[in-house]
Amino acid sequence: MGVDRATLLAWIKPSPPSAEELAAAARLAPGDCEIYSEKLNAILDEAADVFVRTGVSSMLHSGDLVVGIYDPAGNMVAASCGVYLHAVSAQLPVKFVRSHFEDEPTVGIHEGDIFYCNDALYGGIHNPDQIAIMPIFHEGQLIAWSCAAVHQPETDAVEPGGMPGSAKSRHWEGMKLSPIKIGEHYELRADLLEMMENFMSRAPRMQVIDVRARVTAADRIRRRIQDLAKAVGAPLLGGLFRKLIMQSETCARARIASWPDGTFRAVSFADTVGATESLVRAALTARKAGEQITLDFAGTSPENDGPQNAFAHIAAAHVAIYLYAYAFHDLPVSAGTFAPLDFVVPEGCLLNAGSEAAVSQSVYACWQMLTLTPIVFSKMMYAGAQRPLVAASAGNNHTVPFVYAGMNQWGGKVADLLGYPFNGEGLGARSDMDGVDCYGFPMAHTGLGPDVEDVETETFFLHLFQNELIDSGGPGKYRGGTGVESALVLYHMPRAVVSSMGATTRVLIGQGLFGGYPPPAVPGIHVVGSDALEKLGAGEALPRDFRELAEKRAIKGQYRFERTARPSRMIGKGDLISVIASGGAGYGDVLERDPSLVARDVREQRVSPDAAAEIYCVALDPGSGEADLEETARRRAQARQARLARGKPWAEFMVQWSKQKPPEDMLSCYGSWPDAKPVRPVVRL
Amino acid sequence: MDAPSRVSSVRVAVTEYLEIDLGTETWHCRRCQRSLGPARSNYKEGCLAYARDPSTLYPPQVEGERYSFAPDPALCLLVEFYCPGCGTLVETEALPPGHPPTHDIELDLDSLRRHAADADATRKP
Repeated sequence: MGVDRATLLAWIKPSPPSAEELAAAARLAPGDCEIYSEKLNAILDEAADVFVRTGVSSMLHSGDLVVGIYDPAGNMVAASCGVYLHAVSAQLPVKFVRSHFEDEPTVGIHEGDIFYCNDALYGGIHNPDQIAIMPIFHEGQLIAWSCAAVHQPETDAVEPGGMPGSAKSRHWEGMKLSPIKIGEHYELRADLLEMMENFMSRAPRMQVIDVRARVTAADRIRRRIQDLAKAVGAPLLGGLFRKLIMQSETCARARIASWPDGTFRAVSFADTVGATESLVRAALTARKAGEQITLDFAGTSPENDGPQNAFAHIAAAHVAIYLYAYAFHDLPVSAGTFAPLDFVVPEGCLLNAGSEAAVSQSVYACWQMLTLTPIVFSKMMYAGAQRPLVAASAGNNHTVPFVYAGMNQWGGKVADLLGYPFNGEGLGARSDMDGVDCYGFPMAHTGLGPDVEDVETETFFLHLFQNELIDSGGPGKYRGGTGVESALVLYHMPRAVVSSMGATTRVLIGQGLFGGYPPPAVPGIHVVGSDALEKLGAGEALPRDFRELAEKRAIKGQYRFERTARPSRMIGKGDLISVIASGGAGYGDVLERDPSLVARDVREQRVSPDAAAEIYCVALDPGSGEADLEETARRRAQARQARLARGKPWAEFMVQWSKQKPPEDMLSCYGSWPDAKPVRPVVRL
Repeated sequence: MDAPSRVSSVRVAVTEYLEIDLGTETWHCRRCQRSLGPARSNYKEGCLAYARDPSTLYPPQVEGERYSFAPDPALCLLVEFYCPGCGTLVETEALPPGHPPTHDIELDLDSLRRHAADADATRKP
């Protein structure tokens, strides 16, 4: 059952070219690669557009998806994202189908077939991520594959929302499909759609519509590739596919070779393992030698009996989120980029857990990767020509996906995950500029935030406010981008079930870079039985942000400040729930930030006057709001002197520091202190 | 040793605030040139260190609550590394109390020498 881990990990890299592919690549005429690679990208953009317009669930509408073209062997040729990790991981079920079913007479691979899967044991990420796969034939020959994947917000798990925080093994997680053929002769099979509808009884309509959306997007690629093959011939396409893969590999190797050799390390911590509060550590050591990099995750906390585990290929695929957006952002999005990378993911750590492990929140197990990869690559790249790409991480502290389920005001059963609050996280600051405010979802760089009005039409929530969150960007010479705060009030219906997920509340996953600070923590806020709707009806003033809400208790109700990971609960009409996207991490010493930028940030309400004075040490003229440069210089000189007075030499610091330790009750899933080795067996029923 | 002698005294910028002198094989602050120790060791050992309560940086916004906008100092402290010469904040790390600071940059100096021959690698802003 499933595929062994080493094979899945190996499948992420491109398979060697055939002699025919190399010959076809060599035969490409000048301009062929440039013209037809753009054609492929246009096909993918069209398919992504079709995908968004055809589906119904929230993350699909937000564009947190991927469509891709894969060569006959299953190697990624090009993708439109969306979510780069899915572009990479989609190779694995394609390679499984080829290796297991091509010569299997009861299955086979034929023109018009439609395959489908969502099980991480076969190359997926976690079972909400469902993928449609179609072989593309031309004149009877398999010439390519098309894939379309997006997160489905319901999986028939023990809780609504597809990522159950209470899951203790894979048996709690709902529908898991190994790659199966759900259609033949370009027709979906009604019996298998009925099976999925039956599984997804919390939201059957959404499941079936979104299956059709995936297949529609994959089929659009299939039709366009067949048209292209008819126009230019399959050999040209085969050569083009291999050339794109080889180009990515050649350019990635050359770029890596231009960086100095060395070893680069980073750690990141989280405090949530499903329903349990415990510290966990993710560790990454990057060993760069010549044109090769080994990414070693030794030192990561052991696997746990909650849902925040992953498998080795999942961890490796998460590296793509950084690579394709930063270090290799200008190379073709193809499998070749991964050729110079080797991965070491020790068995038994939470990034490579046992096959029975729950992985429904694998993306939270891997969230720290979004901090680790920018740090190690930035430290690799600073001395080289890619210095402008050096950047702190997005904040990751935390973007909170918000799940809701129940009957909506249109009489339909819904179980969805609000994707758009993801898509407002601040980006990490760069070596030459601030992080982008309200950038997006660090896992899905092109994800969009739909209009609030559209969301309020589709769902039963009213947005009391949705703002940039003041002081949410990590301070630094360059500030992390601001995050977003949203307050949702249940409006149309008397009750609904809600939950949210997260990897941290009381510790910071994000790390600053080169003296920059991480962004602040993010709590969950729930006001039970609020009078917000009564105030709204009476035309009375309402709170405009969480600072006003938290400090002044500006509406009546029972206030709960809680973890970002909130188990499923029933809420009533008028209840207020927070949804907060973290700001990004800062870059460089705060005392080097241009005072005029601090004044601007205060004017634009991205930084509070208190933070300007106390963190940035900038004196603002009370009349004009402009920075007083002389007074600022005096304060900053004082601040530097204060650092010199309070800082201790290393040896002296370590004597006191090493005596400290977090409370034992927060180390239950951490492993041994401080090296995070397994200390207890994990028993799953 | 395959290092060309003409770059033996070159300083290569390795981070926003750190450079390595290839002749003496020492870390230096890029702001005040203060030596921070052998380049084959952890530069943090040449810095002043201070563990900062994160609530001094991030106001909790709510008093007396377990969960707020400030991390819990029992679980997370901001370790700051200052240049002992000029007080520049060279690096920060968010760590649980007592967790060893990370030896984050360990460069192959011979490789760095080769890269120092490249003008891009030695340029300074």
